[in-house]
Formats: sequence, C-alpha cells, structure tokens
Amino acid sequence: MILDDYRGIADQGELRAIEHLAGALRGRRFIHVNSTATGGGVAELLQRMIPLMKSLGIDAKWKVMKGTKQFFEVTKRIHNSLQGREGPPTKKMWDIYESVNRRNAERLDLDADCVFIHDPQPALLVEKKKRGIWVWRCHIDISRPNRVTWYLLKDLVQQYDAAIFSVARFAQSLPLAQFMIPPSIDPLSEKNVDLTEEEVNAVFERFDIPMDKPVLLQVSRFDPFKDPLGVIDAFKLVRKYHPCRLVLAGGTATDDPEGARVLDEVREKAEGDPDIHILLLPPFSDREINALQRGATIVLQKSTREGFGLVVAEALWKKKPVIAGDVGGIPLQVIDGVTGYLVHSVEGTAFRVRQLLQNPHKARILGEAGREHIRRNFLITGHIRNYLALWRAMEDKDSDLIYV
Amino acid sequence: MAEPFRFYECVSIVRMTGRWAGDIVDFLEILRQISRQSIFHHMHQYFLKPHVRPPEYPNDFAVWAADALEEKILAERLANLNPFEFTNIEEIRTELVRIITDYLKEYPPPRPVIEGKEFFFNEGITLVIPTGLEASNLKEFRCALKEVDASSIYFHFYEARLRLGKEQDDFSRFFSDCLSAECPGLADKIRSLDPYMYTAEVLKSKIEALVAGECR
Repeated sequence: MILDDYRGIADQGELRAIEHLAGALRGRRFIHVNSTATGGGVAELLQRMIPLMKSLGIDAKWKVMKGTKQFFEVTKRIHNSLQGREGPPTKKMWDIYESVNRRNAERLDLDADCVFIHDPQPALLVEKKKRGIWVWRCHIDISRPNRVTWYLLKDLVQQYDAAIFSVARFAQSLPLAQFMIPPSIDPLSEKNVDLTEEEVNAVFERFDIPMDKPVLLQVSRFDPFKDPLGVIDAFKLVRKYHPCRLVLAGGTATDDPEGARVLDEVREKAEGDPDIHILLLPPFSDREINALQRGATIVLQKSTREGFGLVVAEALWKKKPVIAGDVGGIPLQVIDGVTGYLVHSVEGTAFRVRQLLQNPHKARILGEAGREHIRRNFLITGHIRNYLALWRAMEDKDSDLIYV
Repeated sequence: MAEPFRFYECVSIVRMTGRWAGDIVDFLEILRQISRQSIFHHMHQYFLKPHVRPPEYPNDFAVWAADALEEKILAERLANLNPFEFTNIEEIRTELVRIITDYLKEYPPPRPVIEGKEFFFNEGITLVIPTGLEASNLKEFRCALKEVDASSIYFHFYEARLRLGKEQDDFSRFFSDCLSAECPGLADKIRSLDPYMYTAEVLKSKIEALVAGECR
C-alpha cells in the first residue's frame, strides 16, 4: 500500500501536501497505541494508516495494550460514563485501570518523536513520557461526561502536549492545545473497495437474505447508543407502507462485554419476523460488510450518542443515502437534505425511509453527493495529512503560519 | 530579471479554543476577547473547505445567526461584511461587534440556541507547502495555475491580504510588478474580482479564465 495507489481518488494537492510533510518528518518515529487489534473503528483505521505512513518513510509503529476481561469491563464503564450514561468507576475499578496500564507501560517501548494514545483505555501510559510530543486522541463523544469520571481522567489528559477530538463540541476546558481532526475511511480497504454485483449477491445469498425487497441496513456494534431496538421500531412503521427487509449487522470488539446483552434484547424483539435479519459478524468480516452496504437500498445509523460514526462515511462512499441520528460526528457527514437526512426519533427515521423508498431518484442524488462529500473530506489521505500537519505544528507551537 | 512567482498550497488544521456560546450575549462577550486567529478562521474557513453544497453565507458567524439563532436579518448583515474593506483583523472584530450590538438595540433579543447548535470558537493553523511550481511569464503562470489546487488560491488571496497584512493579493501584485508589459490590464481585472462572493474553487476558475483571456 503506497500513496500512489490513491492517485485518481484523492485530490493531487492533498497527495502533494502529504509527500511534503512526510519528507520533512522522514525517518522519525511515530507510535500509536490503542486497546484492541480488531473490532471498532480505531483498529480498522490503524491497520491501514500505519503501512501507509511507513511507505512514506516515517518510522510508524502500532502497539496494542494488553488487558484482562476485568480491565475491559472497567474501561467500558469509563467509556459509558464519559458519554454520560453511567456513574463513575469505583475505587477498585480505578485500581484495576491503573495497574493494567502500569503493566503495559513496563512492557511497551514508547520512545518516539511523536506518540498518539487512542481513547481512555491506555491514557495513563502518559506517565511514561520521557521525550517527544504526546497526543491524546479521543474518538468518543465526551461533550456531556459524568463530571467525576472526567475530573479523574482529566488529571491524566493534562499531562499530554495536545488532545485531538473528532468534533468541536467534544472539546473540554483543558490547559493544552486541542485540535479537531475527523477520522476517515480507506477507499482501498476490504471494507470499501469496489465489488462486483456477483460478489454482493453471493454475500446476501450466504447470509440467507433474499434481495426481493428493498433492504434497510444498520451496521453497528450491538450497543444501546446505536439504538438497534429503535431501528426495529422504525422498520415496523415503514413496513406498514412498503414491503422491505431490515438487516442489523454487527460484531463485538474484545473491549465490549456489554454487546452480548444488547444482542439478546435485539434478538428477542425481532423473534419470529422473517423480514428482520440479525447478523453477528466475526472479526475480519470487512468484505461482507462492504457487500451488505452495497446491496442495501438505504443505510441507517440511528445512534443516540456517537463518537464519529465512520460507518456513515462508508455507506456514503458507496453512494447510499444515509438516514442517521443528529449526534456526534454524524452531522459532519450527513448534510441534511444533501447527502442524507438527520433524524431525532423513531418516527422521523420511518418518515425519511418512506420518503426515499417512494422517490428513488432523490435517493440516488443524495448518494452521489454523499460519495463526493466523503472523497473531499473523510478519506485516509486527508487524515494522514492532518496528523502529519499537527505533528509538524506541535514542533513549532508558537506559530500559526508555518512554512514547511 | 524579476523573481518568478512561486506557487504555494496550504493545509489548515483546526485548533479548538474550548470557548463556546449558546446565546447572542455570550457570543458577543467571547467575540470581543477571542484571538484574532479565531476571527480570521471563522471569516475564512468557508473558502478553504471543500463543499458539495456551500453554506448560504460565506462566514461562520452569519451561518450561525441564520441556522442556530434563526435571526435572518442579523445573518444578512453579518454576511454582507466584506473583509477586504478592512486592513486588519481588529477592524473586522470591531465591525462584527458593531453589527451585533446595533441589532440588539433594534430588535428583541434572540432566544438561546437549542442544544447541539452552540457556536464553538476555533482557530486555524496554516501550514504552507511549496509546490515547486514557478512562473516567470503568463504562459508559465497559466500552466502552473491549472496544476495547483484551491488551497493555493486561498493562500495567495485571502491569507496574503489579511493574515500577512499585504495590501493586495499575491497574483495582482505579481502581474502589476513583474508582468505589466506583457499583460497591462490583468492585475486590475483580478483586483476587481469580489473574492468573498466565491469559494476558492470558483475563484480559481475565474482567475484561470482571466489569464486564459490574456493569453489569446
């Protein structure tokens, strides 16, 4: 995977900027740390980004912290609490969080010119900082956190040189530079690369989903914030007017023990309905997800909280109109009435689906605008350019106009 | 021989100030204190950002007044502010404050915005990238202009004028200083473009057309 592969997809100016910035940082060490090697948007992104950065001459490395089942239960609690849904972790939980982080700090070599620590799970690794620029990359919505949890985490975040959030409203009052950089999709990854119609059909056949009616699709982890139960309610409202199918496809990440409980609730609600297809996808199902998105008529992402919601960008890239919750980073991707519709309720979701099923021409126009919007704003190339630009800018902190 | 024109492109990254407003009074208070970089950013990011459909108004303040506060008159007044009439950002800040203050004296105060529609004050950090493209005559300029992207127009037009404090955009200056014999009227034609009416992409095509016209 090299930058040249993206010629003809990304704009020339974007590629020129990457080459120039990478040239200025050639041979220097750039480490990313997160908590899971598979499952979830961060791992997907790093799997693609690290080889590309290496191809540009940067000594880029990706390290995954090791955690216990107990640790991931604690970090799930921290995650939920930062999204304002649960109370703060107990003292015992914080002890587990700290001891696992400290064990990882001993194990991992984090000596680099620039270190990106992704999300709260490995945030305490900053205690190991000796040199270089350390950046906390927060992918989740912390605009309305539990105040105690944030107060305690803030102690760690303040030790970084900078923080990155995906959306402006996630920023906090912090005594360090905060940047807004949205995440991205890779158009050449298994999840987004072009597929033949035969391959798409074969995947639907393999999952036993007849393509005899329009297909509504939501791809997401089985997580209450993604509101899969609300999606089923909306689907049932739509089906009164249009025959259609609903596919709820998701996997579970190793750091997401809550997923199984939500999946049970979804299965119970969908039981006995032959038009609802629930797919629990194992890791490495990217090509299958790609095919499901390409075979869908409309893609839904009815989240009630969202970090960024990259699955929306994936669907838009495939020219699918997206109907999605007006939360987190979704409004940056779904421009209401231009690339899809933003909704706030089960009824709103059903209404917009009915509109688009009734008007396929409009659905096509939204889908085409969606692809161009993603191409210009949310591809991996732009993301790498922004990371390199930030690294370079942090080395010249007092200037806001930097000649590279 | 005069220096050739060197084309630069730029990348802008967004630094968040952590300051936000949910109503017009808070907005005004912050506007009076916020950094110049923040005012420049919100007056100009429209021009650099790639749009599939550009917002109705060319600055973030006007867009917020229209979409979040739903105060159309205020939005129109803010949109009509032409930064090229000012020589520095402090003057623009003064004018923004004047427009909003006058509006508050004239009309009932707008209600606070609904959650999620607050105004977040950000700043832009610009990284300037040399493209390696240079021009010493009109033909070379035309070829290079085709090659560069819209960020180059943004840098040589908008950044040059207000952030770098130059009296005119880089293109007009080059044509008047270095190529006035080859194309005597071109600098004036470029200067007469109203850059706040276009995105950088559209402005680029307008300049390309003017340069192509001179080459005929």
